[in-house]
Amino acid sequence: MTNLVSNWRQAKNIHKQIGKVAKIVSWTKVYVAPSGFEADVPYYAGIVEFRNGQRTTVQFVDFEDEPAIGQNVVTVVRRIGRQRPQDVIQYGIKVKPY
Amino acid sequence: MKVAIAGVGMTKFGELWDKSIFDLAEEASVKAIEDSGLDTKKIDAVFVANMLSSKLDGQDHLGAVVATLLGLSVSAVRIEGACASGGLAVHQAVAAILSGIYETVLVLGVEKMTDVSTCEITTALMGAGAEEERLAGLTFPGLYALMARAHMEEFGTTREQMAQVAVKNHFHASLNEHAHFPFEVSIEKVLGSPSISYPFTLFDSSPISDGAAAVVLTKKSVRKGVAIRASTVATDTIGLAKRKSLTEVAATKIAGEKALRQAGVSLSDIDVLEVHDCFTVAEIMAMEDLGFCEKGEGGQYVSSGQTKLGSKMPVNTSGGLKACGHPLAATGVKQIVEITNQLRGNALNRQVKGAKVGLAQNVGGTGATVVVHVLQV
Repeated sequence: MTNLVSNWRQAKNIHKQIGKVAKIVSWTKVYVAPSGFEADVPYYAGIVEFRNGQRTTVQFVDFEDEPAIGQNVVTVVRRIGRQRPQDVIQYGIKVKPY
Repeated sequence: MKVAIAGVGMTKFGELWDKSIFDLAEEASVKAIEDSGLDTKKIDAVFVANMLSSKLDGQDHLGAVVATLLGLSVSAVRIEGACASGGLAVHQAVAAILSGIYETVLVLGVEKMTDVSTCEITTALMGAGAEEERLAGLTFPGLYALMARAHMEEFGTTREQMAQVAVKNHFHASLNEHAHFPFEVSIEKVLGSPSISYPFTLFDSSPISDGAAAVVLTKKSVRKGVAIRASTVATDTIGLAKRKSLTEVAATKIAGEKALRQAGVSLSDIDVLEVHDCFTVAEIMAMEDLGFCEKGEGGQYVSSGQTKLGSKMPVNTSGGLKACGHPLAATGVKQIVEITNQLRGNALNRQVKGAKVGLAQNVGGTGATVVVHVLQV
């Protein structure tokens, strides 16, 4: 999915994005996943809008109920997909209910 | 603007396990050249549209590959713009001909997709999206599902209206011997098929197909008389989150308006239409963004029956991406093949009677690239 260097490059910016509140603009539930995400299906993902008006695309975690458009969420650090045992683990930003 | 379409050809679209990317490329090219009646030596350049041959076939340098297959030693290049690769290659060929460098150009769109697993294809296709979309575990059905979900929320568009697009396009494909799925389906079948990415089921989605389509374009006017009267391209942000709206494809609006101006025609002049229905909601948004109905009314418009063959505004007589199949880069060229056959009166049992003007809309990614062509006879 990603190699060591690109992983390192992305990871440098993660701390700036933690704990930000946003609201859900649109969401979907993925049943057919790309490589690395097969073990997670089905999972929620979507577009969220931060309070400064910026939008981003993220995977949703810790949702017990179906997400709702307009619902508040907060950014957290999570492992992104699954890697092979010999690969470096990739971390990134996801959102959970706020 | 006027560039003549001298010849068209395509392979059957589908799971063609006994055919390689090379077989497909050669078959469509030879058919288009034969149809043009021109000697292969008259071809001054070859533009090959393809998205995934590097990843799926381990083959780059496709221009030279196709030149080799045809025994040519002219300029030959590959053009890539995700699912809009085909339309883009036609656009570049038109530009090259109008520049005066070349007189006759072969445009080929080819894709071989069914040799690998669904998971590998799903991953490879995400190359057409943004990095943050890949990190979110999103897929192309997922990204279009976000647009569909927003369309439902904002305008009350229903799952039944979306499903009608699939039902209609399967009906058209049942009349097309080249289609991947040449059979009809019921609305219950569409709605009841397995979930791919909520709210989409399998039958909202275009399939993974093999296939190729080719056209020979020339500066000279030709016997059969079909010409490209407009060729426009517009782009937008690569990722969906940075767009102003999730319920429109702004690049379709821009390229569409420009194309009508360039061709000197209005929407009411259009007799037949091929639009990029990679997912059912995409056809709904295309009809809105091209201006055939108001924003938000696309669901009603497509389920009213007026986009079916024999009605007012036949859309996707080939069966569209949904049912004719969607071998990525072949699609944009296939749209030109279908419209050309319609305008020549060669579309057999799916002929739109008296069709004189046709429009093709080809989309890359979630609308980061849109190509529109207007053809006239």
